Amino acid sequence: MVANCAPTPKDYRNMGIEISRLRRQFGTFVALDDVSLSIGDGEFVAVLGPSGSGKTSLLRILAGLDQPDSGSVFRDGQNLLALDARRRGVGLVFQHYALFPHMTVAQNVAFGLRVRPWRLRPKAQMIKTAVEELLCKVELEGLAGRYPSQLSGGQRQRVALARALAIEPRLLLLDEPFGALDAQVRVTLRGWLREFHRSLGITSLFVTHDQDEALEMADRVVVMNRGRIEQVGTPEQVYRQPATPFVSRFIARGQSLPGEVRGQHLHLFGHAWRIENPAVVDAHEVAVHVRPEDIVPAVTPGDGLKAQLLSLRHVAGSVRASLRVENWDQPLEAHWSERDWARYSGATDDGLGIHLQAVTVFAADREGRVHMRSTVHPPSASAPVAVGPWRRIEA
Amino acid sequence: MATALDAALGGGPLMAAVAAVVSIGRPAWPTRIARVALVLAALTVLGWLMVLPLLAIFAEALRHGLAFYLQAIREPDTLAAVRLTLTVAAIAVPLNMVFGVAAAWSMAHFEFRGKTWLGALIDLPFSISPVVCGMVLILVYGKDGWLGSWLEAQGLQVIFAMPGLVLATVLVTLPYVARELIPLMQAQGSDQEEAALTLGASGWQIFFRVTLPRVRWALLYGVLLCNARAMGEFGAVYVVSGHLRGLTNTLPLQVDQLSQENFSAAFAVASLLALLTVLTLGIKRLVEWRHGGELRANT
Repeated sequence: MVANCAPTPKDYRNMGIEISRLRRQFGTFVALDDVSLSIGDGEFVAVLGPSGSGKTSLLRILAGLDQPDSGSVFRDGQNLLALDARRRGVGLVFQHYALFPHMTVAQNVAFGLRVRPWRLRPKAQMIKTAVEELLCKVELEGLAGRYPSQLSGGQRQRVALARALAIEPRLLLLDEPFGALDAQVRVTLRGWLREFHRSLGITSLFVTHDQDEALEMADRVVVMNRGRIEQVGTPEQVYRQPATPFVSRFIARGQSLPGEVRGQHLHLFGHAWRIENPAVVDAHEVAVHVRPEDIVPAVTPGDGLKAQLLSLRHVAGSVRASLRVENWDQPLEAHWSERDWARYSGATDDGLGIHLQAVTVFAADREGRVHMRSTVHPPSASAPVAVGPWRRIEA
Repeated sequence: MATALDAALGGGPLMAAVAAVVSIGRPAWPTRIARVALVLAALTVLGWLMVLPLLAIFAEALRHGLAFYLQAIREPDTLAAVRLTLTVAAIAVPLNMVFGVAAAWSMAHFEFRGKTWLGALIDLPFSISPVVCGMVLILVYGKDGWLGSWLEAQGLQVIFAMPGLVLATVLVTLPYVARELIPLMQAQGSDQEEAALTLGASGWQIFFRVTLPRVRWALLYGVLLCNARAMGEFGAVYVVSGHLRGLTNTLPLQVDQLSQENFSAAFAVASLLALLTVLTLGIKRLVEWRHGGELRANT
């Protein structure tokens, strides 16, 4: 999808970034609390979290627009925090683009080159060539003479990207890159940006509050909450093996269940399942989560947990059901494929039977830190029992 | 519908006019009458208070013929007053421009303790009587003032001299540029400046290439207002000037003195001052007309 532009080989000299123990506090609000993270060469990392989770603070510190209270950031052994934002070589794309409205597209893109000190400034002709090349890369060749106000949101976003790339940054930061776009353009640009990153290979970090965006685009996802990193992992890892109840809720739409651990057993809805992991047994506090897709209708009528169907929505190939399970007043959300739902016909006005295919047990210690995670597959699903924390043991 | 609302609101022409704002389609005739009446009232007040006196100045100034008019203006003391007024404005306005931009920049881009206080302080000259401003200057810089004797020892006379006139004018016109820029720059935020910074621009480059182009018309507007006020300032300048003809009399003071001796000459000089003001207003209107969109904070 990325256009075939005259390829001038560019040396983006990608380096690894080592962030360690960053802390930033605004008054009593802790924006970053002991944040450590390594980013590899050419990696595409998403920082995902709700608003106020500290993701933008992290971005601003990396860009040099803010200084942490403590902690360090090294790029290939060089202390990044000691460098002024001007000299960091970090490209930043703002959520609302922050294009210069009084300059044309070409002038916007050329800005980073034109403001260089006299000795380092490329010749006018070279700047012109570089701008043309960049505009070609972001597929805006014909729009060099336009002003930002004459462009669509998606086009402005790509101008902002070209402008940031003009300084040949060693790290590209994107703040909610699609936050101000409408849903259609957003989905199109996601794939485009993913491909674009592949073709450049430049180390990139983008901040988003949109789970789909993060999981679809990034090599690795950093999930943040209240200034802390909850989990770092591939999109598959954070979905399949959420480290904390927060990640489970935020990424996998995990829903709380009224489970209790007594002795060696998890007690849930009047059933008891054996837990193999001793650490869970000793836990101070336990959270039990189930994902919408792990709630399946029982094929045999009368089988499984009794549940009431509160509502049913058909959303483009999938069925979303709201259920109320006996003896539990919180409605549960279940997702099935249209095909599975068609195959199942056991729902009556009285309700239906459901099975929980997998529930995840999080065990927290006295300080509230999760020290053990365990996924229990109730026997009805005839699946192997998986025991955490981060690997599966076939039982 | 308008009449129904009119009745509901208790009737009366004012209510009818209010109703006219919300009515759709052709309004009922009481509403139309109220509308015309309100516009006429506004025009009448403006006509009697502003247009008529302005015309009167020029009529009075030219009553004894053009020759007399030119002679009155060519009077050496008057020419000195013109020169002084222009000099004071030429010093005070750039000073306030720099101050206004600096104040607006810090209000828009920095978070600091006492920011709201700075905002209130900038507005202070709007609410204090200019005479008080002048008195304060005498208190500080006058012969027996806190700094006056020390300054005199350095051979620098502030009060009853040019520096005092400049100080008084700067003080009175302090808010004009800053007040024009602060809301605009605050609404624009810091994103573009930060973008420029990450692209490698220096502080001056950011200011001249990013910030200034975006606020230039508001800045010009503020400077014009500031200039009009600086040239017309009377109260504060009156207190610190000492009224030495040909030396410390600015145009407004010259008009004041002349009006006690030679009424026609006073009007001739006053017409000069009015002309300067009208000119400024004309440029201001032109700026508003051409760049009105940019003056509003939502750009």
